[in-house]
Formats: sequence, C-alpha cells, structure tokens
Amino acid sequence: MQREGSAFSGLGVVMLKELSDHLTSIRMRVLEWLVVLIALAALYGAIQQIKDTTAEDPFLFLRLFTTSRDPLPSFVSFLSFLVPLMAIGLGFDAVNGEHNRRTLSRILSQPIYRDALLFGKFLAGLVTLAISLIALWLLVVGLGLLLIGIPPGAEEIARSFVFLLVTIVYAGVWLALALLFSVVFRSAATAALITLGLWLLVTFIWPVLSGALAQIFIPPDPRYTALGLQTPATAQLEQILARFSPSTLYAEIVVALLDPTTRALGPIYLSQLQGAVLGAPLPFGESVLIAWPQMVGMIATAIVLFVIGYVIFQRQEVRA
Amino acid sequence: MRSGFIVAVAAAFAVLIAPLTTTFGLSAMAEDAPKDVRGIFLMSDYPAVTLRPGETSTISLRLQNYDMTPERLGLSVTGVPVGWTATLLGGGQPVAAAMPAANSSVSLSLRLDVPKNAAMGTQTITVAAQGNASNLQLPINVTLAKDLPAKLTLTPQLPDLRGTSKSSFEYQLGIKNDSGKKLTVSLSAQGPQNFDTSFTEQYGTQELKAVPVDAGQSKDVKLKVTPPNTAAAGDYKIIARVAAEDASATADLAMTITGQPKLEISGREGLVSTRASAGKESTVPVIVTNIGTAPADDIQLTGSTPSGWKITFDPKTVDRIAPNDNKEVQASITPTEKAIAGDYVTTVRASARGESASTNFRVTVTTSTMWGIAGVGIIGVALLVMVGAVARFGRR
Repeated sequence: MQREGSAFSGLGVVMLKELSDHLTSIRMRVLEWLVVLIALAALYGAIQQIKDTTAEDPFLFLRLFTTSRDPLPSFVSFLSFLVPLMAIGLGFDAVNGEHNRRTLSRILSQPIYRDALLFGKFLAGLVTLAISLIALWLLVVGLGLLLIGIPPGAEEIARSFVFLLVTIVYAGVWLALALLFSVVFRSAATAALITLGLWLLVTFIWPVLSGALAQIFIPPDPRYTALGLQTPATAQLEQILARFSPSTLYAEIVVALLDPTTRALGPIYLSQLQGAVLGAPLPFGESVLIAWPQMVGMIATAIVLFVIGYVIFQRQEVRA
Repeated sequence: MRSGFIVAVAAAFAVLIAPLTTTFGLSAMAEDAPKDVRGIFLMSDYPAVTLRPGETSTISLRLQNYDMTPERLGLSVTGVPVGWTATLLGGGQPVAAAMPAANSSVSLSLRLDVPKNAAMGTQTITVAAQGNASNLQLPINVTLAKDLPAKLTLTPQLPDLRGTSKSSFEYQLGIKNDSGKKLTVSLSAQGPQNFDTSFTEQYGTQELKAVPVDAGQSKDVKLKVTPPNTAAAGDYKIIARVAAEDASATADLAMTITGQPKLEISGREGLVSTRASAGKESTVPVIVTNIGTAPADDIQLTGSTPSGWKITFDPKTVDRIAPNDNKEVQASITPTEKAIAGDYVTTVRASARGESASTNFRVTVTTSTMWGIAGVGIIGVALLVMVGAVARFGRR
C-alpha cells in the first residue's frame, strides 16, 4: 500500500506544544528541582572531598563528577538513578493520557499524522530532558570553576561533554520505554508502575540476578574458587548478562569516559597487563572507542524501543 | 698468640730503644768523647763554605766544654772583608761572650751579609773566643762563587701511567732540596688543554700550591691529573715543575688514555614513544649513538617487550660506530592481538663488547576502529528498521 505525504508533517506543531506543556507542568518542575538540589548536594560533597584529599591530578575536573563523600553518592550515581526517573515521569502517560482525556481522536482529526504525533512526543520529551541536563552540566562546570578555581582542560571538557551526550541518550532509552508502555497500557497508573518496576528490576536486581544466572549456566571451577578468584568463563557470562541492562551500560560508559586510566571494561588477564604502564591515561579517542560498543547498544536500544512503540501505536484502535 | 707475643716484645724494644737513640743523637759528642779529651773547643761542622754575593747566610758554630771548669769566653770576629757584615748570634740575638758549662756546649751562629759587589775569591774569617785560661781560634774559609749547583731535583717514582678517560692519574713525586737552606718550593704542572692537575700531600686531600723543604731534605708530593671525559684515546705528556727562588726542576710525565666506547639509545629527535594497533606491526626509528672515546664494534640490538609481543630490528647488528657518530636502526614492534588499549613499556637494548645501553620506549596501543564502524552499522540498521516501520505501518 502506498503512503502519501510526509510522516513528519505536523511534527513541529506537536513537538512545540508538547515541549511547552512539559516545561510548564508542575510534574516537570518538581522533577527538575529534585534533580538540581540532589545534584548540587553531590557536587558540594565532591568539591569538599577534592579540597580535602586530592593531591595533584591531571584530571581534577573530572573528579567533580565521580568523587563521592559520605553519606551522599557521587554526582554520576545520582544521575544514573534520577535520569530514568525523570524520563519515566515525562513519558509514562504520553499516549494513554490522551486516550483517557479523550483528546487523541481530536488531535488526529487535525492534519496531523499518527507518525508525527509519536515522533513529536518522543522528541519533545528528549528535548526537555536535554535542556535540563545541559543546564545541569553547565551548573556543574560553572560551580567547579568557581569553587575549585582550576579551569578544565580541553580533554576534560571533551570527556564531560561526551558524558553529557551519553546521559541524554540514556534518558532517551527510558523515555522510549515509558512511551512504549504508555502505548501498550491504557491506564497511566499501570504504565507508570510497570515502567518503574522494570527500571527497578534492571537497575538493582538484574546485576545480582545476572551473577546468579551465570553461576547456574557455567558453574564456577573449584580450582579458581579455592584461589578466591572468579572463573573467567562465569565472569564473562555474568558480564554479558549484566549488559542487557541499560544502567550497566551507562555505568560502564561513565567509568571509561570520566576515569581516563580505564583501559578495558571487561575482565583482563594478568598477562595482558604485563609491561603496561599502569595509571597512564588513555587518549580521549581511545576512551570513546572502549565505550563505543556500550554507546551503540544504548542508542540502538532507544531506537528499537521507540520503533516497537511506534508499530504498536500505528496498529492501535484510537477511536474509543 | 705467638705472633702477638712477638709483636709485644718488639714494641717493648722499640720503646726502650727510642729514648736511647734520642739522647744519643743530641749529646753524641759528650757521651762518645774519649776521656782523655779535655778542654774547651770552638767548633763548626763546616768551617769552609761557599756563598753567593748579595746573600745573607748563617754558619753554625759551637762552643764545647769537656771536663773543664766553666769559663767566661769573650767572642770576636776578625778578618771580615770591607763591606761585609759579620754578626755572632746566640739564641737569636747578637752576643759578645759565651759560657759553656762543664760537659756541655753552646750553639752559636755566624751571620754573614755579603754585599752584591763583593769580589770573587776566598776570604778567611776568624772567630775567636778569649777567656782567662783559653784562647780559641776558628778560621772559616768563605768562598764566593757566582753559580751554585742546582738546588732542587724532582724525581717521579712512576712516570708513565695508563688508564681510561674516567680514571684519575696519580704521580708520586720526590722533591729534593740540595741547597744549603730551607726553601719554599712552588709546584706547578702543565698538561694538555682541559686536563685538570692538582698537587696534594702524599697522604691527604689538601691541594698544595707550595711546599717547604728543609735544606738537604726531600719531600714527597702527589700530582693528580684528571683528564676530561671527552679525552680521546692516546698518549699525553704532562710536565711537572717545581721552583724556589731561582732554582727549578722539571719532570716529564706521560699518560696513556685507553679509549672506551659508550653507547646511548634514543628515538629520532629524542622521541621515545610510538603508537601501535593491537596485532599490527609498527616501526619506530631507534638511533644508537657512541658518545665514548673509542669505536664500538659489533653492536647487537635486542628488546624486551610484554609477553606475546614481537620486536625485531633492521639491521639486527651494527658493525661499527665511530666515536661521536650514530646509526639509525628500525625497530618493528607488534603488540599481541589481545593487547588492551593504553601505554606499555618496551625496552630497547644495544650491547657492544662490554658496553651496553638501554632505553624504555613507550608504546601506546590503540584499539582497532573496526568495531567502531561496526557500531555505526548497527545504529544504521536500527534506523533502517525505523524507516521501514514508518513506511510499512505509518497511517497516512
């Protein structure tokens, strides 16, 4: 069957309307304040810790993101919790909300295609998240400049900028998932609960579960266990399983980007370390290459999740 | 035990003998004098001396009393040529009379100031001691001569030494003062340019510029010659010179410096780092320099790398590098397939006979961009799926 017209006509209208809705909504405001305040607290702790303990460090600026001070976790660990929350908060009632308010058919009676509606909703959510994350990033850079007093080097800026992009992609994954469930479930509450449940599962439970599953599939070799070591095959399987979770991927990318001394993200044999200059930072491009498979995984996941949501939405009965 | 005992006995003897010899030396005349020699004598060890015009000299005299009652003796000097000044000194002051006790002596010295224009020839000066019972006369022949024989000699014990440019050469030199008086001898040495020379005491580190030598005595000093590190192999001459007043002596010393090759490794323009992809060969130029003083022969190049790596050199050996010359060698480094990204240390070593040098090269292993392109492909496929979905399921 031949389609007519562009899938994107009306996209701009939907996106701008959604964007203004998001930016003026109470929900968004609460989420933003939550993120900003918690981030500030983590940043303050990091700066205190850096002032107290850090000796000479060629990547002092990156320590802003990764240093933690008890009882608060570091800025990046906060982000890895809060970014999914924000994304789910923005997306869980994107489509079923329209259903429930009975506005969907009214919108679609305008010269706006269903394609454009979903694209617009997704893009608006992503832009909203991007705006707040960029603001947050600038806040961190600015406060770091102000409180540490050391200007960041070009490589530090590059690394933290790629970190920002990756965080936006990570938000995109959860936004796509929330959008998918808002298409699948008619009740917004169900969609929210299931999305949050899935988030909890992949973020907190899956890492533990992948270890257990790996041990079931490849029982540890007693010879390694006796030495207190992990069996290489088991460790490899555990990592493969753990990488199904976007939060694992995100955590690995963050480590590679913000800690330049990271040389590999998988298990390393001791023979591979022979002759290596430990503690020598990797060039920026190499760090990105190390984390590139993870980034690809996240980007592809976001696209695939969106496409699934898109296909289901296109086949749905909207006149209800 | 036995040897200890012998040493103890020997030491005891030494202690016993030492005071004996000392006494013996001091009053040899008195003790050795036969009993039938009695009287008061005016004596000099050398009653005929040679002097130079324009100089002041002293002649030592002694008044000796053997078994006689002490007596006051008036002293006088006669026969002093016109223009000369003769003074009798006792205990450092001019004296006119002396009184030796029984079996003892009084030391005197006659100081002679000889004017510059004094005529050559022999003069006789008579020193007289006049007492109630004795009338003593001592004629002293003073010969004036223009040129005295050389007063200093310099004898090296080991005049020819051998070593490398890093060693220091030490010559033992004996300075003998053959003149009639104590001299302050100044020391100097002349070597090739940039050779450092210094005189020290024989057992000591204090550097000397001059050393006093008593009349008729000799003294040993040490001449230390330090060649510059860059001194080429070869024979060198050093002239040691001692001088005092108008006398001087020289000694020719020789040293042979044997050259030594010394190797140094660096990268081109001093760069000792390179990049390499895992499993792929990369070449880095290695420059071997001989900064020594002798040519280095048959230089083998080797390298030690992390396990699983390969390193080869082209050429493997360098036949010869002349001093201050260098040769470039290509090192091919292949990291193992499994190498993870980051910096590694590889040591490159060059060894000639007995001489070697090594340098660490830092190899930055980069990961292949193959997977990066594959990743872009995966994202592209995902986007294609989306475009396909839009085309297939879009509602327009």
